[in-house]
Amino acid sequence: MSPDDWILDIQNLFIDYRTKRGNLHAVHDASLRIRPGESVAVIGESGCGKTTLAASIVKMLPLNADIRSGSITYKPRKGKSVSIHSSSEQTMRTLRWSEIVMMFQASQSSFNPVTKIYTQFLDTARAHRMKLTSQQVLKRSRELLELVYLNGDAVLNSYPHELSGGMKQRTLIALSLLLDPQLIILDEPTTALDLITQKRILLLLNSLRKSHNFSMIFITHDLGIVTQLADRVVTMYAGAVVEDSPSSEFFADPKHPYSVGLLRAIPKLNAAFEHLYSIPGSTPDLVRRIDGCLFSPRCEHSHDRCLREVPQLRSVGGHRLAACHLYEEVTV
Amino acid sequence: MDDLRKTSRMKRTLSHMGSAVVRDKVGTAGFALLLMIILMSVFGPIWFPLDTESDPDKLLHPPSSEHILGTDHLGRDIWAQIVSGGRELLVLALLTASIAVAIGIVLGSFSALVRGKFDEIMVFLADVWLTIPRFPLLVVLSGFFRLDSVTLAVVLAVLSWAGLFRTIRAEVLSLKKRDYIEAAFMLDLPMMHVIFREILPNMMGFIAANFTLLMRAAIYAQVGLVFLGLLPLDQNWGVMINVAWNQGVIYNPNAIWFLLAPTIVICLLILSLVWISRSLEEVFNPSLRK
Amino acid sequence: MQKDMLVFAAKKLMKVVFTVWVVTTLIFFLIRLMPSNPIERYIQNLVVQYGMTYEEASSRASSLFALDLEASLFVQYIDYLSSAVRLDFGTSFLSPGVQVTQIIAARLPWTLFTVGMGLVLSFIIGIVLGALAAYRRESWYEPLISGTSSFLSAVPDFLIAIFLILLFGVFTWGGRGSIIPIFQLRGTYGPGVTPGWNAPFIRSVIGHGFVPILTYFFSQIGIWVLLMKGSTSGCLNSDYAQIARARGLRPAKILKSYIGRNAMLPIATEFAMRLGFIIGGSLIIEQLFVYQGLGLELLNATSNRDYPLMQAIFLVMTIAIVLSNLFAELLYGVLDPRIRHGGGKQDG
Repeated sequence: MSPDDWILDIQNLFIDYRTKRGNLHAVHDASLRIRPGESVAVIGESGCGKTTLAASIVKMLPLNADIRSGSITYKPRKGKSVSIHSSSEQTMRTLRWSEIVMMFQASQSSFNPVTKIYTQFLDTARAHRMKLTSQQVLKRSRELLELVYLNGDAVLNSYPHELSGGMKQRTLIALSLLLDPQLIILDEPTTALDLITQKRILLLLNSLRKSHNFSMIFITHDLGIVTQLADRVVTMYAGAVVEDSPSSEFFADPKHPYSVGLLRAIPKLNAAFEHLYSIPGSTPDLVRRIDGCLFSPRCEHSHDRCLREVPQLRSVGGHRLAACHLYEEVTV
Repeated sequence: MDDLRKTSRMKRTLSHMGSAVVRDKVGTAGFALLLMIILMSVFGPIWFPLDTESDPDKLLHPPSSEHILGTDHLGRDIWAQIVSGGRELLVLALLTASIAVAIGIVLGSFSALVRGKFDEIMVFLADVWLTIPRFPLLVVLSGFFRLDSVTLAVVLAVLSWAGLFRTIRAEVLSLKKRDYIEAAFMLDLPMMHVIFREILPNMMGFIAANFTLLMRAAIYAQVGLVFLGLLPLDQNWGVMINVAWNQGVIYNPNAIWFLLAPTIVICLLILSLVWISRSLEEVFNPSLRK
Repeated sequence: MQKDMLVFAAKKLMKVVFTVWVVTTLIFFLIRLMPSNPIERYIQNLVVQYGMTYEEASSRASSLFALDLEASLFVQYIDYLSSAVRLDFGTSFLSPGVQVTQIIAARLPWTLFTVGMGLVLSFIIGIVLGALAAYRRESWYEPLISGTSSFLSAVPDFLIAIFLILLFGVFTWGGRGSIIPIFQLRGTYGPGVTPGWNAPFIRSVIGHGFVPILTYFFSQIGIWVLLMKGSTSGCLNSDYAQIARARGLRPAKILKSYIGRNAMLPIATEFAMRLGFIIGGSLIIEQLFVYQGLGLELLNATSNRDYPLMQAIFLVMTIAIVLSNLFAELLYGVLDPRIRHGGGKQDG
C-alpha cells in the first residue's frame, strides 16, 4: 500500500461543546489519516477528545456539540469520496455500519433487550436494503457468528440477556461484519470484560481485520492492548493530536513529552508501588484555553516559546509526526 | 476514633446533602416553603390568637382589612385558624414518619443482614402487605377502633412498614457489598454496631427522602380521615375543610376562603415535602438526574 | 420457555391466594375477636332494644352474618372462609335481606366508569406528553410539561377535587353563572331521568361524571407524564438505541422497536397495577361529589357499622388489587424476556 493511499482523512478538526461555562473545545485542531487495512490506536487521558473525535467520524455527536471547522473525508471502496463534516443525516445513515462501524463504549448492552438476536441482524440488513432474502441474511449471520467461534443457531435464537459478556461482544463483532465495512471504530471495546476474554476478543478482531480487510481505529487506556494490536499509535492531548507514530517506534522512542509521560506511567511489575509514576499537574481547562502549548504547564522541557506559540503537528523523521517545539530542528 | 469517624462521615453526608439541595432550585423552593410554614405555625399563634368566641354579627364574611381571609360560620377569623392549624398536622406527620422510619430501618437492615429464611418470609409478607389498599383499610379500622390523632399517627406508621422495609432492605443489600461494611463484619462487630455506625450514616440522604414522603402520606391520611369525619375534630386544616364543606360554603361565594385557604396551605405543605424529597433523591441517586 | 412461564404463573397465583386468605382472615378475626366485637354488640343491641333473649338474638345474628355462633371459633372460621370462596358475604345490616353482593353490583359500575375513564384518559394523554417531553428536551414547552406534571403529581387528589369544584361549580366567570350548575356536581345522575339507554339519562350521567373524571384525570396524569418521560429518556440514552443508530437504522424504526417497546415496559406494568384501584376509587372524592360508587358505599357502611357490607367491599377492593398485580406481573413476563427467565443471567 502506498502511504498516500487513505480511506479516512481528518484535517484540522475543531469540535466545541456548548456548556454553561461557555464553549468547551473538546477537539482542537486534530488531524488524522487512516490507510486501508491498518489498525490505529488512539490513546490519551479521559477527556482528551478521543471519543468525540471517534463519534464525529460517524457524525453521532451529542446534541450540544458542533463541528466548528475542519474536514472529515471518507473514501469508500467504490464511488466518490464523501465529505462527512457536511453530509446530511440521510447520507450518514447509509454510511453507518455498511461503510463505517462505530462500536461505542459498554457494548454489554448493545442489543435491544426485548428482541432476539436474529431480529437485530435482520433489522440491520433491512436498514441498508441488502439484496438478500431473510433466509440468506440469517445464513450469512450464522456464518459470521461461527467465524467468531459462536454457535450460530443458538445465538440467533437467544435474547441478549441469555448471552455472557464475552459472547455479546463477539456477537456484536459478527454483526459489525454483516455489511462488510471498510472501517471499524471501537471505543474502549473491552473494558467491561475480564482480562483473558479481552485478550481473546482483540486477537480475534486482529485476525478478522486481516481476513476481511478492514481498517480499525480503537480508543483505549490500555497500552498493553496497543502493543499487541496497533500498527500506529496516535496520542491525543487536550483535543489535539500531539503524536502519530508507528507502534514499534512509539514504544521504543516516544517523541512528545506527553507520550513519554504516558509510557512512564505504565506500572511495571518489578517496580515498587511508591515509584509508580504519574504525570505531574492536572488535565487542562478546555473552556478557557491558555496561550501556547497546552501541555506546557505539565512539561519538564517547557520553555519561553511553548508559552507563546502552539506547536503544529509536523514530521519528526520517518513516518512520525509530533506537535512539540523540541523537534523544531528536525525537518523533512 | 470510631466515633470520630462516624461523626465526620455523618457530617460530610449532611453537609453534602445541604449544599447539593441548596444548589437544586426545586429543593431550595421546597425548604423555603417548609420553613415558612413551620415558622408560621410556631410563631403565628402568638400574634394571631384564635377567636375563642363566636360573633353572630359577622358570619361567613368575605375578606376585609380586619379579617384578611374573612370569617367562618361562627364569625371567627380564618387567618388565625390557618396560622394555628398547621402545628398539629406537622407534629403528627413528624411522629408518624419517625416511627415508620425506625421500624423500616430496624426490619429492613436486619433482614438484609441476616438473610436466610427470615429474610425470605419478611419479603413475602411485605409483598402481600403492599397489596392491601391502605386508605380503605384505615376507614375499615376506624369502624372497629376509636382512633384519635396520636393513635392514628402510630397506626399509620405501623401500616406503612412494608414499603420502607423493602426500600431500606434493598439499599442495605447494595451497601453491604462495599468494602468497609465487609470489613466490619470480618472484625465481628455486633450487628447493632454495624447498622447504626456503618450503614445508617451512609443512608442518611436516602432516609431523609423517604422521611419526607412518609410525612406527605401521613398528612394525606390525617386530612383525609378528618375530612371524612372519621377522626375527632381538633384544630387543624383538615378540620377546617371538613367544617367549611359541611357548612355548605360552596354555596356561598363570599365565604369561599374558609374552604380555599386551608386547601391551599395543605397543598403548599405537601408540595414543599415532595419537592424536598425529589431533590434529595436526585442528589443521592445520580442515575435519576437527567 | 413454555414451562418457565407456567412455573412463573403458578408461583404468582399462589401468592394471590395467600394474600386473599390473609385479608379474609384478618377481617374475620377483627370482627369476631375484637373486645367489643360487632356481632356481640349487635346481639346485645337486640337484647336491650327489642327485649329478645340472648339465644334469639344470637340465632338472628347467626342467620344475618351467615355464621353459626354456637360452633367453635375454628368451625366458624372454616364456614366463613367457604362462604367467602363462594362469594357469599351474607346480607346487609342496614337493609336486612339485601344481599351484600347485590349492593356491590349496583355500586360498582359507577366507580368503574369514573375512575376507569380518568385512568385511561390520563394514561393516553400522559404517555404522549411524557414521550414528547423526553424527545424534545430542548424545547420551550418541556419545562412546562414537566413542571405541571410534577406539581399535579404532588397535590393530593381530594384537594384537586375541591379546586375543580370551585372552578367549575362555584366561581362565576364574567357575570355569568358557574360553568356547571353546582347541583350537577352531586350524585351520579340528575332527578327526573329514568336509568336506561336514553339520551337524557346518558347526558345526565356524563354531566355528573365529568368533574369526577377530570379529578381522577388530573390526579394521575402527572405520574404518567413523569414515568413516561423518565423511562423514554432512559431508553433514548441507552446503549442499544445508540448502537441501533450506528447500525444505520431509520429513526422511525428505532423509535418503534427499540425505544418505544422498552420505554413502555414499566409503564404498561404500572397501568395494569393501577387497574386494581379502579374498584377502590377514591373514597374521599366520591364523598366530595356524593358519587354513589363503591368507595362512598364503604364509607356509609363504616359510619353505619354495617359490618357484612364493610368486609365484603374491602375484600373486593383487595382482590381487585391483588388480581391486577398478578396481571401486571404476568404482563411484564410476556413483554420482557428477562423476567420470564427468572430474573436473567448475570453477566460475567
